[in-house]
Amino acid sequence: MEYAVETFSLTKIFSDWWGRAKVYAVDNLDLQVRQNEVFGLLGPNGSGKTTTLKMLLGLLHPTKGKALLLGGDGADPKINSRIGFLPEESYLYRYLTARETLDFYGRLFGLPAKVRQMRIEALLDMVGLKAVANRAVGTFSKGMARRIGLAQALINDPDLLILDEPTTGLDPIGTRQIKDLMLRLAERGKTILLCSHLLADVEDVCDRIAILYGGRIQTQGRVRELLQQTNKRQITTDAISDSTVEKIKQLVAAEDAECVVSSPMDKLESFFIRIVMAAQQQAQPTSGAVSTTKIGDFLTRKEPMESILDKLVSAPVSPQASQEAPATEKVAAARAPDESLLTKLTRSAEPSPPEPVARDEAAAAQAVEAQASDQEHVRESILDRLTGRSPDRSHNKEKTDTSQAGESGDG
Amino acid sequence: MGSIWAVATNTIRQAVRMKVALVFMVLLFVLLPALGFSATGDETLKGRLQTFVSYGLSLMSFLLCLLTIIISIYSITSDIEHRQIYTVITKPIRRFQFLLGKLLGVIVLDTILVSIFAAVIYVVTIYMPRFVNASEQELTEANNQFLTARAALTVPEVDVTKEVRERYEQLKKLDQLPPDYTQDQIIAELTKQAQLAHRAAGVGDVLVWEFDNIKPLAEGMFIRFKYDVSPNPPDSQVYGRWLAGDSQYIKYGEPVKTPIYDQVHKHVARTFHEIEFPAAVVPESGRLAIAFMNVPLNATTVIFPPDGLEVLYKADSFTANFVRAVLLILFRLIFLACLGVLASSFLSFPVAILFCLVLFLTASFSGFVVESFDYLSANIGAVYSYTLKWVIRLLPEFDKFNPTEFMVPARLLSWSVLARCAAVIVCLKAFLILILGLVIFSYREIAKITV
Repeated sequence: MEYAVETFSLTKIFSDWWGRAKVYAVDNLDLQVRQNEVFGLLGPNGSGKTTTLKMLLGLLHPTKGKALLLGGDGADPKINSRIGFLPEESYLYRYLTARETLDFYGRLFGLPAKVRQMRIEALLDMVGLKAVANRAVGTFSKGMARRIGLAQALINDPDLLILDEPTTGLDPIGTRQIKDLMLRLAERGKTILLCSHLLADVEDVCDRIAILYGGRIQTQGRVRELLQQTNKRQITTDAISDSTVEKIKQLVAAEDAECVVSSPMDKLESFFIRIVMAAQQQAQPTSGAVSTTKIGDFLTRKEPMESILDKLVSAPVSPQASQEAPATEKVAAARAPDESLLTKLTRSAEPSPPEPVARDEAAAAQAVEAQASDQEHVRESILDRLTGRSPDRSHNKEKTDTSQAGESGDG
Repeated sequence: MGSIWAVATNTIRQAVRMKVALVFMVLLFVLLPALGFSATGDETLKGRLQTFVSYGLSLMSFLLCLLTIIISIYSITSDIEHRQIYTVITKPIRRFQFLLGKLLGVIVLDTILVSIFAAVIYVVTIYMPRFVNASEQELTEANNQFLTARAALTVPEVDVTKEVRERYEQLKKLDQLPPDYTQDQIIAELTKQAQLAHRAAGVGDVLVWEFDNIKPLAEGMFIRFKYDVSPNPPDSQVYGRWLAGDSQYIKYGEPVKTPIYDQVHKHVARTFHEIEFPAAVVPESGRLAIAFMNVPLNATTVIFPPDGLEVLYKADSFTANFVRAVLLILFRLIFLACLGVLASSFLSFPVAILFCLVLFLTASFSGFVVESFDYLSANIGAVYSYTLKWVIRLLPEFDKFNPTEFMVPARLLSWSVLARCAAVIVCLKAFLILILGLVIFSYREIAKITV
């Protein structure tokens, strides 16, 4: 089975009452999503993204053509048991509590009570809703409902995850966390079919994308290849003197090329996250979600956990990139030979973060997440990177981090 | 099975937490005891009990029927309407399992509610004699005629075909046939007259009924009857001399070993009455004769309507009968739950509710409906009997299996009647309806069309 999702001239025509064709919602769609890739289905509103997903899952019958999920029919329970699905809105039973909701879905998969119990706790922890686990879902904000929706899609440890607009209704931190989660799931060998019109999401996490318009694929390919401007180069430096800038300009002018010099802007996303995280660590009360972003241990991975973690923390550039600015991570990975140069270039791009303060915040953060039991996973989280719980790594991370952000902000 | 049960428990949770069930429970909890105090009937203890049980069971049945229709439809259509079904149906559960889960949830909920309310009615009934200062006589009457389960022996309509045929030939010979009527109409009219003649007693006449194979369990036996009179006596009172005993004596006056019951009673016409007589009069052969004599005091013809005379004897306990009557209600609810599943498999909430309510009301008066259709469709017989007739026949006859019809006269609701009801209403009709609903739901598109 080469493809996780494959469609053969999938077509959906909505007809009127008399059976006359009215709208071609999806038109001869041939889609191939490979195993273990994050695939983004993009398109404006009404371009047939959701209709495609509904046909994949058997919620709509295709007018013509066929769709295979994991090599089988999307309505077959055997296939369903390996799929996680998050619809465009989290359609939840309002009268169930968060915990009951997950329990209900766990029982639909026929999971034994003990496994269910274990997974529910892990998932609640992961999406940061442990504190409100016994509140009715109907009282949740949209973002919180979204998190439960996501947890629901993961309860069976799916091989294929189908997410329809996973970040709608989420605050920037939630968005960031879900993007991180998707990346980590991909690292664990899951295939993700992501459907969105929020381009930033797609850009950050997807390996390949297809752009849909009018039910047809307009273009598809690897994100990097589609977006990279091969005729441009970008250099990021520390705050160098004006005379050096002049020298560089002369060097560039010698090659007959244009050169623009400016101070890189922080990405609004990173800035926002930093502010809110700081407030969270001062334990300011909120009724919303408090996420630890711990990934559920039950979510299987193809390689042993240690090796991934080791890889993540030992490689100087990629780990934080994969979490903070994944789009550029791939660029960085592609430039692997220049790694040392890149590290040199990015050193102390900004005044280094105030570490003592950060440590205090970390202590506060520990108080906030009372249930943070297995702390070895916590080091992966944004929280850690921002607060510097493990200073030996965070120093290095912070610097490269901001430089990455600056780079993408500039680009 | 695990996933079906998951859906079922979720449905029960929904019914409980959305307070749908709660409203009905409060209603019943308020209304039932209120009924217990307000229902006085004809002021006797028996009357009180009859009124309470009849109103109580009817009320419970009616409210739970409504509740079943609403919950079974709401829980399915709201899942589709609010799209929770997207996340449920994409899990490893087949669509028919989803519907079965919903159905199971409703049935479990119904069973719980029926048990609770039946228990309330039962307890109030059993303890009512203690709250009401009933006289000894009233107590005995209530025990014998209400807090029991009696088998009934009915009188079949006399076969008068031969008689009518002869009469018709005779009229034809005399050329006295009414000119404007067809042969069928004349024969029907003659049959009616002949049958009436067998049930009517002129002044001084005697009517005799015979019953075979009687094995009474209790001391007392009962004649339950209703007089029709023509012309009406001034105070509507009818005097009747009633005899019960060995048919050898009653028919031929031969001396017999067993005692003979022989008494004159005065009763109001046009309502049912009961006369108790000792079981000792039943001869060893088990062949019992009942005779009615229209005493000359009356000066009116007394007619017994077709179902106007029965002999009752104790055959089971009140408790057992009550349990079976409650099961009858449960069968009704199961049918309605299946009907709700069918309706919501292809209709939206308001339409499905309307659809089910219409069918429910039709089923409640099915005898009337079938009769009127039979009458109206006399001219389009072929079309009717191949189409609409079968649709109407598919409806359960709730009025035929009405629990109060059994409970009020303390009539035995035997296991065989109950089994027949289960077979017809649940195993056949509800099952067919459910299968239809499952098939429709399995092939329909769940998602809404959104472009």
